[in-house]
Amino acid sequence: MNGVVEAAGVSKWYGEVLGLNAFTASFGQGITGLVGPNGAGKSTLFKLLIGQLRSDQGNITLLGENPWNNVPLKRRLGYCPEQNQLYGWLTGQQFVEVLLRLDGMPAAKARVEATAALKVVGLSNAAHRPTRGYSRGMRQRAKLAQALAHHPEILILDEPLSGADPAGRVHILRTISDFARDGGHVLMSTHVLYEIERITNNIVLIHNGKAIAAGNIHAIRALIDEHPHAVRIDTAKPRQLAQALARMDHVVSFEFPASDTLVVRTRQPDAFYRELPQIVSDTKLEVHGLESPDDSLDAVFRYLVG
Amino acid sequence: MSITLPTYSRLEIPLLGRRERLWAIIATGLRQGVRRPAAIAITVLGAAFTTITSIILLFLSFLLPAGQGTGLSFFAVPASNPFVLFFVSAMAAVIGSGLIADDIQSMAFTLYLSRPITQLDYLLAKAAILAPLVALVTILPLLLTALVAAFLGLLSWTIALEAMGISLVIGGLLTLFYTAVTLFLSSLTRRKGIAAAGVFAVNFGLTIPAGILAESIQNPSILYLSPWNDYLAIANAAFGASGAGIDWPVALAILLGVTVLAALVTYVRMKAVEVITG
Repeated sequence: MNGVVEAAGVSKWYGEVLGLNAFTASFGQGITGLVGPNGAGKSTLFKLLIGQLRSDQGNITLLGENPWNNVPLKRRLGYCPEQNQLYGWLTGQQFVEVLLRLDGMPAAKARVEATAALKVVGLSNAAHRPTRGYSRGMRQRAKLAQALAHHPEILILDEPLSGADPAGRVHILRTISDFARDGGHVLMSTHVLYEIERITNNIVLIHNGKAIAAGNIHAIRALIDEHPHAVRIDTAKPRQLAQALARMDHVVSFEFPASDTLVVRTRQPDAFYRELPQIVSDTKLEVHGLESPDDSLDAVFRYLVG
Repeated sequence: MSITLPTYSRLEIPLLGRRERLWAIIATGLRQGVRRPAAIAITVLGAAFTTITSIILLFLSFLLPAGQGTGLSFFAVPASNPFVLFFVSAMAAVIGSGLIADDIQSMAFTLYLSRPITQLDYLLAKAAILAPLVALVTILPLLLTALVAAFLGLLSWTIALEAMGISLVIGGLLTLFYTAVTLFLSSLTRRKGIAAAGVFAVNFGLTIPAGILAESIQNPSILYLSPWNDYLAIANAAFGASGAGIDWPVALAILLGVTVLAALVTYVRMKAVEVITG
């Protein structure tokens, strides 16, 4: 057992709901993607790793230590939660500074490190604006900044790309890659396989609280390509965008669930994600958010687990 | 060919002490309070009303027959000022009810606890936000009244200092009680409105019916159910005033017991807060 994260038969119940079910996996160095649909147990695993939950059964270690109630270990990790956090009236700079102060960083040092971290995630220009005015993608980057700012050994990122706009996604992925290239470890959850594929080949598939597969990402790619992949796009002009996207021959269908939302289904997600920025740029339509509902991944998991 | 992986070096920063780290939560909480007009209004009005009425009572005490005016026992009167009950409830509801509930709702709690602090640290910081504000109503007016009385020569400094000491103890007890109970209620819900309603229910929902019931069935023991009446019994005894109908040791035990129990349950509750997100 010498992985960055080692989990052996870990189970966690929330009353009668099973969050993790004898979860066993070993996450090595570098970037590892934890892929699974909503409700699979990803956040539960992360809360166990950051010491906020205690497993009901089994053993789990992070960086070789038991995370439960392990206050010194918390200094070695950076956690980026999925949900929007803290107080909207704080500016991005204050948000990161407050959390650095909780790490025990002196005020002057916290100011410097917060500024540097916000620069890394590309939020320098918005650093002194209240975070309530941030787009969802900007909030994701601010949360990534607070996770990075104290120079942890490992980043635990819960759906860091959720809701981020195309430019924000690129920035987040680049930041994560740079962190890993410098020798840091990253554990990142997502329900969109194509996002994680850009930065790592190492994945762990989780479903119903169990690790059902681990290893190279390409092995399950073929399976996923058989299922149309859904992408939800937030834009003020969904019909105009659909018109522009219709020229992609791999697009299967469009839906307009709300006046500012477009859901696209494609058989070639790679191509879709590659071509989308150019189309958005050419048509000068604004895209405020991009998200992949997990129904396509869910179909794959249903296939995998029979 | 061999590959050498880069070695990541952590930024080693001397870890400041627990007090400094908790101050980050306290300072953020106070800044949040300062941003809300209702919180400022209720704090300023509470401190002003209770202090002014206490000092007015001080001057009115000279209208009483000789022997019943100013003395240590006089301080039982401002200590039982109904404005204290009203403003403590209002402050607990407006400021305290959201201290934990808002953090659970926004999941800031999860983010806080991803840092090197414990649940106990978090709770202590939250208590340190609310308690000083409540003390502006429970302790400060009594201290100022004693100071004014001593400065104007209405009381000897000996009695004034004694009154101030007692005020610190009984006011501190009331402050701890409301802080613990408010945080407990705030930890039970994600909606601060529910916690705020709980604060009023604990105060007025127990005090008023207990008073009516005790009167109607001529059984003062019912008053033990009311935290305010427990406090009055302790305050009257401490200042040497005539009794409030119930025994102060029992009242003290109840008030202390509920305070400790509320704090313990809140701590256990916070350790068990879990959010199922996936």
